[in-house]
Amino acid sequence: MSRVTDPDLRAPPSPRVEALIAEVVEPDEPEPAPSPADNANLTPEQREEAARRAEQDRRDRRLVRRLKEGDERAFQELVQTYQNRIFGLMLRMISNRQEAEDLAQEVFIIVYRAIGSYRGEGRFYTWLYRIASNTCKNRIKYLKGRNFHRSVEIDETPQAQLPASEGGSIVTLQSQVPGPEAAAEGTRMEKVIQRELAALDPEHRLLIVLRDIQGLTYQDIIRITGLQEGTLKSRLHRARLALKERLQPYMR
Amino acid sequence: MAEQKTAEAEALMSAYLDEQLAPEEAARVEKMLAESPEAREEMSGLQKMLNLVKGLPEVEAPPDFYEKVAKKIRRRRYLRGENLWLLTLPFQVLSVVLILVVAVTYMLLHLDSNPSGQLEKDPTVVPPPAENPAQDPAAASP
Repeated sequence: MSRVTDPDLRAPPSPRVEALIAEVVEPDEPEPAPSPADNANLTPEQREEAARRAEQDRRDRRLVRRLKEGDERAFQELVQTYQNRIFGLMLRMISNRQEAEDLAQEVFIIVYRAIGSYRGEGRFYTWLYRIASNTCKNRIKYLKGRNFHRSVEIDETPQAQLPASEGGSIVTLQSQVPGPEAAAEGTRMEKVIQRELAALDPEHRLLIVLRDIQGLTYQDIIRITGLQEGTLKSRLHRARLALKERLQPYMR
Repeated sequence: MAEQKTAEAEALMSAYLDEQLAPEEAARVEKMLAESPEAREEMSGLQKMLNLVKGLPEVEAPPDFYEKVAKKIRRRRYLRGENLWLLTLPFQVLSVVLILVVAVTYMLLHLDSNPSGQLEKDPTVVPPPAENPAQDPAAASP
């Protein structure tokens, strides 16, 4: 594999870029390694998951080291590893495909410019997500100020707008019986969920997206959001109750 | 007091569904579920909602995502610092040309509209005598 080096990566960022980076980039903090006692309490599946994460962390560290040396191929590998997750986070948060793509690109550009400030003490994964969630929150604030209307692609057919009690919708995204009708129902329900998700408070929405859609662990969410464990539990519960309330007419 | 305890136990419901509770906390939630049909209903609703949300399909970034990121980085690098003069050079040349054109046009228009204004009259200079004696009454008299 050829090694493309970028001397620009080793140069300090310009003051304007530094200001932008300072807004969304926070220093990575050391994360405690799991103790042998913790490992002993894990189920085989959890142990397998922990091993997979450890391998991913080692790979990320290698890529970050190469990126800091100016290797653009390492940057490409990092982007391709995380692009779906960061784009998915943005899409679920913003509900607009073009806006989500621009924001996700912005996150990786910030990572590229700020990689020098990543000390390698915490996981790259949580550092990246912290940048993404800060960028997203800033954008939502900005869009709110400009009275931006989310453009969720909602199925406008009258039946799609009806609650389940009136024969309008369904409780699962995919029916047990496969086929085009089930797929259409799944798409319609996805749009309904996306619309109701978009109506939540951004802090609540972020927790639902991180935990229930992207499947992050509580510990990861605590590192990303900076919340205390108790606060996370109660806030996540309130977020779920709010979404349940909104989806109630579509559940049977 | 009892209400506060119930509220606390309710707040633990989500963590219970995520299997994130210590054994004693989990026992509190289970006790509440055993005693309260409302709590059971709420738990069931939460579970249904979670099944829906967790069933959302995974989202994929566009296939040319990295290329777009790399392009933006190149463009911003180009716009930064050392290459800025190259980018602004055509505008600098255009500005100078525009100023020259305006200046020349103004001068030409000004001269056209006021041709006598091009020479200033000096009051100390005596005008030369008229060359045609027929038009000079002093020269015509004896």
